[in-house]
Amino acid sequence: MLATLRDLMIYNPEFRIGAILLGLVAGMAALSLASPYAPLDTFVVAPDLPPSFAHPFGTTSRGQDVFWQLTFAIRNTLTFGIVVAVLSRLLSLAIGLLAGYKGGWVDRVLMAINDTFIAIPLFPILVLFYFVLRDAMSWAALAIIMALLGWAYDARLIRALALSLKTREFTYTGVFSGMTTRELLVREHLPYVMPIVFATTMNNMNWSIGLEVTLSVLGFTDINSPTVGSMIYWANQHTALVAGVWWWIAFPVILLVALFIGLFLLAVSMNEHIDPRSRLRRMGAEGGA
Amino acid sequence: MRFYATYLAQRLGQFLLVVFIGINLTYLITHLTPIDPVEQSIAAVTSFGNTSPEAIGAMRQSLRELYGLTGAPHEQYLAFWRRIATADFGPSLSAFPTPVSTLIARALPWTIGLLATATLLTWVLGNLLGGLAGYYQNKTSLKVLAIIAMGLHPVPYYIVAFVLLVTFGYLWPLLPIAGGKAMNLGDQLSLEIVLSILKHSILPALSLLLVGLGGWFLGMRSLVSNIVSEDYVVYAELAGVDHRRILTSYVMRNALLPQVTGLALSLGAIFNGAIITEQVFGYPGVGSLLVSGVYAGDYGLVLGVATVSIIGVSTAVLIIDLLYPLLDPRVRTG
Amino acid sequence: MRLKRTILAAILWGSVGLATLSSGAAAQGLFANLPRNEILILENPEGTIKNAGWFNIWAINAGSQSNGLQQAALDTLWYIDPNRGLDGVWQNSLAADKPQYNADFTEMTVKLRPGIYWSDGVEFTAADVVHTVTTQIKHKNMRWSAALALNVEAVEAPDPYSVHFKLKKPNSRFHALFTVRWNAVWIMPKHVFEKVEDPLKFDFNKPVSLGAYVLHTFDPDGRWYIWRLREDWQRTTLARYGTPGPKYLAYVDPGPPDKRVIAQMNHELDVIHDVAPEGMFTLAKQSKSSVAWFKGFPYAHPDPTLPALIFNGQNELFKSRDVRWALALLIDIKAVSMASYRGAATISAIGIPPTGRHPESYHEPLQDWLASFELDTGKHKIKPYDRGIGQQIAEMLRPSMGDQIPSDPKAIAAAFGMGWWKADAGAAAELLEKAGFKKVGANWQTPDGKPFTVRVVVEGEARPVMTRAGSMIVEQWRRAGIDAKVDVAQGTLVTRRAAGDFDTLISWSVETWGGHQDLSFFLDSWHSQFVAPAGTPQPPRNWQRWSHPDLDKVIEEIRKIGFDDPRGIELGREYVKIAVREMPTIPLMSYNVFTVMDTTYWTGYPTAADPYTDPVPNWANSRAMFVKLKPKS
Repeated sequence: MLATLRDLMIYNPEFRIGAILLGLVAGMAALSLASPYAPLDTFVVAPDLPPSFAHPFGTTSRGQDVFWQLTFAIRNTLTFGIVVAVLSRLLSLAIGLLAGYKGGWVDRVLMAINDTFIAIPLFPILVLFYFVLRDAMSWAALAIIMALLGWAYDARLIRALALSLKTREFTYTGVFSGMTTRELLVREHLPYVMPIVFATTMNNMNWSIGLEVTLSVLGFTDINSPTVGSMIYWANQHTALVAGVWWWIAFPVILLVALFIGLFLLAVSMNEHIDPRSRLRRMGAEGGA
Repeated sequence: MRFYATYLAQRLGQFLLVVFIGINLTYLITHLTPIDPVEQSIAAVTSFGNTSPEAIGAMRQSLRELYGLTGAPHEQYLAFWRRIATADFGPSLSAFPTPVSTLIARALPWTIGLLATATLLTWVLGNLLGGLAGYYQNKTSLKVLAIIAMGLHPVPYYIVAFVLLVTFGYLWPLLPIAGGKAMNLGDQLSLEIVLSILKHSILPALSLLLVGLGGWFLGMRSLVSNIVSEDYVVYAELAGVDHRRILTSYVMRNALLPQVTGLALSLGAIFNGAIITEQVFGYPGVGSLLVSGVYAGDYGLVLGVATVSIIGVSTAVLIIDLLYPLLDPRVRTG
Repeated sequence: MRLKRTILAAILWGSVGLATLSSGAAAQGLFANLPRNEILILENPEGTIKNAGWFNIWAINAGSQSNGLQQAALDTLWYIDPNRGLDGVWQNSLAADKPQYNADFTEMTVKLRPGIYWSDGVEFTAADVVHTVTTQIKHKNMRWSAALALNVEAVEAPDPYSVHFKLKKPNSRFHALFTVRWNAVWIMPKHVFEKVEDPLKFDFNKPVSLGAYVLHTFDPDGRWYIWRLREDWQRTTLARYGTPGPKYLAYVDPGPPDKRVIAQMNHELDVIHDVAPEGMFTLAKQSKSSVAWFKGFPYAHPDPTLPALIFNGQNELFKSRDVRWALALLIDIKAVSMASYRGAATISAIGIPPTGRHPESYHEPLQDWLASFELDTGKHKIKPYDRGIGQQIAEMLRPSMGDQIPSDPKAIAAAFGMGWWKADAGAAAELLEKAGFKKVGANWQTPDGKPFTVRVVVEGEARPVMTRAGSMIVEQWRRAGIDAKVDVAQGTLVTRRAAGDFDTLISWSVETWGGHQDLSFFLDSWHSQFVAPAGTPQPPRNWQRWSHPDLDKVIEEIRKIGFDDPRGIELGREYVKIAVREMPTIPLMSYNVFTVMDTTYWTGYPTAADPYTDPVPNWANSRAMFVKLKPKS
């Protein structure tokens, strides 16, 4: 695993850039532990100050330090993405492996449901959830709902892989030695599927965080917990942009874009890594130069 | 031909399934709620003044049916489907007594117009440029394009729309940032109206284009660069076939097939983007309607838009699926 | 390579074509076929109207009211101006004179103004007034049905220019129903409505006007309404004040606050209804042509409306006066003023808006009583009032605002208010303990051992300032160990407020005439007879669902004295004292509205220097503006 990462770092500039961007964002989130201010307190510093040495990202019209506020916000946003990704990975693994291995009608039924979830426009569904749950729509509730809605695309990828694993020799060996379906899938197939799971994690995080930001900017989530989306929401409430308090919006947006690009590049480079043909081409090209 | 028929039946089945599951999902959600939507909606109407007890009684009955709250569970469920089948979502509570279906019918052409144009444009442009980038891998201009595409692709619609709004509405006020056409234009179709509608749709369409382009570009580029190393392409090149012909007839044509499937699969996500875009630019479509319905607590309207969205997107997917055999002879002939 | 060039060329030509098209469209501007310099563009804060083609304002529905309909097209008997008025605060509009009551206030006679015509050429007469009243009594679901049915025994027109009302019981304020303060019972055209079978299902499109403007065109999607000056505007009640300036009025939905600011900077929105304070400051700094009510800080027009933290009096937790007072003493009003209005708020400790002529009648004379007011916390007695808080807010702002902050104490009191309650966490804790609450660790528990949870309902994006005030109060309560949370209700606030579906909310149950000291406009509805049982909708405006026997006596006495009787002010002070002792709502400040006006095309807007009316454009009273506006030469 470590060797793989080292290879990726050396041979794949996309991975390099992605890892650096993501490292920056994660570092930012980790800094929240050192914040001198409580995340929900307002008017702890002078409002509307432009970026300076004391306040590197400036201060908000609510008297919060943008830098420290952003550390909490990105931490919550990242955690949200990870929780959704982990939960929905479990779902897509279970469904993908089962469908691919079992085949037949199990496969057909599962994939029909799967394709349905891919085709349904999720935003109206999420809005409907917010509409009925109102202030019960907490951070955790949203994460669970998104996980339940966000597994389908990746389940299809995993199924495709499982389908090919099914005809491998070790599968037959396993079956003949009397392993149950569950044992076989978990012990024998899972390791082969893991790389693709990691790659899809990144895409899934992009998806869930993007939707969370959008929902909270529109005021469709709990504005009490600081996330990057709710930061932009509050900035809009104070017409920060036309009021010239650009740093209140610019830094969250920049950090978000860094996060999105970082995750995306990691996903792309991992996908490429999984597909040995293109990896060899790249290594060959680099080596030859 | 039998193969084609099987294909059609399969697609149609999938379409029905999507609609079925999607609408059941909205049914399920409305039954999860701790809030009684009926009482909430009635309060919305009566809060403007004194409504007679009989009127409230009648309204309660009609809403209970709509939300499927009358009778035994299976009756509730059937009543709900009856309402859906007749596109009868009851009166909108925030525009009482106008029916929800009237509001949706008024908004739908805007969304369909914007979405269809932007999606088509994005798909064609993205695939063309992506195909070129995959074929001419050493062109600097195309490499730069790839980097831009990679940078824009993962950014959510809201952020891109918002940045466009600020840039062209505020910093450099060039384009309108609200509405679907100029005020006082009237309803008669004229060049003036068409121009005004075009002008008002530039920014919303551009935001959809910028976000969407990268995906098709990157997908097409990697497809083409894989196909380029296939034997038959190499052979054609050695045989001195014209580059342009190789690209169009041998490479692009094969690479396009998965991209058409991709388009069908991603329509739902594109629709999400359109909703957000409409909201940001105050564009008069179903997205704006949905958001205003939520703000106003208009239950019937929100349910109506969600249902229509599911049916609309599934129908679009079905249309693409049905057109697919025209491109892929293997499906046509079996 | 040729292919690539072809594609690039296609893209290039495509964009050039699109750019040409759009610049061609740009020439037509904001409005097609209308000269910009003849239009006054105003914000309709109702936003985009989903029921765009509905103009029957007498039916209860979500058709727009402030899309120009009530400002430009409708009329009624009297107006009271919240500011100075064109020729005094009281305006006889369709009426020729003030209302004439008999000795015991059971009959009211109105003389009407002759020579007023509907826009379709039919003369306005007493029959229209009678029809307005009888129709709404007959169809009990209409907007003013309840109020009219409750009061009117009989109505008749002895001649075309007089109307005689017989009332069911004495009511010295019956005329208030027909007196515009934001709105009133609008007069409906008999000749149109008598032909309608069911007036509840009639959309009144296109409306027949009694005001100086008629509907020109409107957007079926509800974003804009354009009204045109009537050819025969001289046959309307506005004519006696002069010639209306704008030939067209456009009431539009300009979108969220930042878009409103952008629109005005581009001179595409003449009158902004309201923006966030920061938007106001930006326009003051960057848009040379923008003016507001005050020339400098605090800019905003103080509406005679009093935002408050409203308790749900039917919630067990808030039935104790001690709890309500404890929560009041946990509020630091200075921080609330800064968080909500950036200091541009006019605070008030008592339940009367600190605006217009109210301070001289209520706030100033009551200062000594407030200062000596004692509160028993159960452990000892405190005097919670601090006279100097308005002054302290001014001093907090002076370092950053400099000369814009007045130094004369009188001017400071006018801009920032007088005193408020001193934040006192110790006294608040004692009061909570007195009410049986316990502090376990850092958190308060209710008498039955549950966490003390309080939700503060706010409206969200539609009212940013109030949302911020609510968030600040939540923060302060949370720091004191109460499980407080903001609940953003968006547009459902109205519903939840009426249904009593809230713990507490930021809203207003106190609204006054502004131009008149009479308080009946809101106070009458605080009588116990109107409090709805828990779970049923509450008629306006007693959102706190609270009543008190002493207050009932005050209200009943007001009903029996004349509108201009000086005893009314004494009774008003009685109300204030009861409300201070009981704290049914925590009064915060006046509703200061950041209405911003662009002088690029029009001059002569109402301002503090020339306060002839309220500029806030959804007020029906704002019609006075139309005759004072002149095109910029």
